[in-house]
Amino acid sequence: MEHLILITAMLAALYMAWNIGANDVANAMGTSVGSGAVTLRQAVLIAAVFEFSGAVIFGSHVTDTVRKGMLDPMAFSTAGPFGVQGPVLLALGMTAALLAAAIWLQLSTKLGLPVSTTHSIVGAVIGFGILAVGIHGIRWGQITEIVASWFVSPLMGGALAFAIFLGIRTFILRNPDPVAATVRVAPYLVMAVCTILALTFTQKVLHNLMHNPHPTFVGLAALAIGGTAGLVARGVIKVPEATIGADPYPYVEKVFGGLQVLTAAFVAFAHGANDVANAVGPLAAVVGIAKTAYTNVPNGVPLARWILAVGGIGIVVGLAMWGYKVIATVGRHITEITPSRGFSAEFATACTVLLASRLGLPVSTTHILVGAVVGVGIAHGLGALNLRTVARIAGSWIATLPAAAVISALLYLGLKAIFI
Amino acid sequence: MRTIFELFGKSPFEPLAKHGQMVDDVIQEVTPLIESFLAQDWSEAKEIADRISRMEHRADQLKAEIRDHLPRSLFLPVDRGDLLRLLKAQDAMADAVEDLAVLVTMRKTPVPDTLKPHVQALMDQVLQAAKTWFTISMLLPQLQEAAFTGPEVKKVLDFIDTLDEQEWRSDQLGTQLGRESVLLEDELGAISLQFIMRIGQKLSDVPNHAETAGDMVRLMLAKG
Repeated sequence: MEHLILITAMLAALYMAWNIGANDVANAMGTSVGSGAVTLRQAVLIAAVFEFSGAVIFGSHVTDTVRKGMLDPMAFSTAGPFGVQGPVLLALGMTAALLAAAIWLQLSTKLGLPVSTTHSIVGAVIGFGILAVGIHGIRWGQITEIVASWFVSPLMGGALAFAIFLGIRTFILRNPDPVAATVRVAPYLVMAVCTILALTFTQKVLHNLMHNPHPTFVGLAALAIGGTAGLVARGVIKVPEATIGADPYPYVEKVFGGLQVLTAAFVAFAHGANDVANAVGPLAAVVGIAKTAYTNVPNGVPLARWILAVGGIGIVVGLAMWGYKVIATVGRHITEITPSRGFSAEFATACTVLLASRLGLPVSTTHILVGAVVGVGIAHGLGALNLRTVARIAGSWIATLPAAAVISALLYLGLKAIFI
Repeated sequence: MRTIFELFGKSPFEPLAKHGQMVDDVIQEVTPLIESFLAQDWSEAKEIADRISRMEHRADQLKAEIRDHLPRSLFLPVDRGDLLRLLKAQDAMADAVEDLAVLVTMRKTPVPDTLKPHVQALMDQVLQAAKTWFTISMLLPQLQEAAFTGPEVKKVLDFIDTLDEQEWRSDQLGTQLGRESVLLEDELGAISLQFIMRIGQKLSDVPNHAETAGDMVRLMLAKG
């Protein structure tokens, strides 16, 4: 009976991860494919590699928040109001939350609502939590922080994208010779992207190699990697012949198309790092409880890496089975974005998501990307921006919290009836 | 499929340049129209007028379509009003040519030989101004690509200055045609004089509208 709980939780987590790979990854990759910077095949390959590495290398912070940050574990301990049944009930609740979030995602995708996987799982965990232990069982401080980040992160993504595109506009597009300016500036952009991406790797790798490496050392190591990439870029990007007097912008966009391959990888990494938690956070909680034979709610135990790998594999399988179709459709329908704009939006999105992941905050990559695109629009980067879509997205996220919460509470009652 | 990428609205700048091309096609008919008028070839003039009417109608349809795709909920890099006024002015150039064709074909208006060089000169100047405008119109998508900044801006502003100059010149030539026509009042008779004056005015309307459109581009660039 108790193995059944673990198996159910595992299947539910895979289903959720599959959903993320099938539907959510397209939002991360769409701008790259839409601008023509990467082909569908390249996009799937980049997404598979970097979603998985993001999940495994950097997914633990947010996963910890989802598995034990939102509910008070004391409420489910054997000393709590449920007595010996507490740990089992928490395991059932987390399983219910996973199923609820995945069902809501599938439903809203059918209805054409752009729903955030993050909001679904957070709503679902709160939903069963309130039903099981009441308002007091929820760590409202942490929840407030998470919800606040949902408002702050798109604004931050928007401000960053605005600043990045304004920089491109000032230093490249406004230059009397945009081609020469591109050749000069692009290596620095490569360095910036690679340094930030390398920062996450060096931090993890050096932590494994030595005890408590100095932050300056970690930073310098990342800078060395980024700087090398920049130097390589400087060698590769040359002023093309026979462009004098010709329209300079196709060349500028061609270079940004190359840079967008980097930001596509960066976004996929950041997305994997943040969103894998939506699938494996609750699973990790169940696994922890199962290890004690459902007698205890462990709190201090570090997260097992294989759990992150399960999430990463689920995402990649979802991508391979269904997500590539969504990316193809999305890429075909957006033709109104050029690589310089796509680069700005993706770079800003990835930085914001990665920062949130470092802070352990589950944020919505999709919403941050929308904020970033609007930021580029405000910097005069886009021909037209459909503000009605922003309203529709805001509407669906407001609907998500209560919907996921109610479904989760109902499933919790159902599972309880079956298992206890 | 509905995705978050419906966020990207359809950029109005390519359609605007496309509309410019359609109006340019109408303007291309001015030379054969005026030539047949000066040669008093009325059946040829009628044929050209029919063609102009059909082409103008198609440009009108595109204008309506562009307008329909510019709801207030669309966030644009330029002022929506400026954009709509530009479209209206560009379309008015084709309207003026259609009116011109109607005037030419409505009545077999004789043209004294002494006036012909004046009509010709006015027409040439009008066509030059129109050509300058269409150069600007074709650059609109590129301006958007450059986020309304950079070397393109200087180029476009220079074109707008040229356009203003050409509009002023065609006004001068229009006035001159008027003066010369009035001198021939007795020979022409009141009705023919009226028609020639109005044909001259319709020709001058084309650069007037082009200038208005140019002013809108100037506003867009100043605000950007």
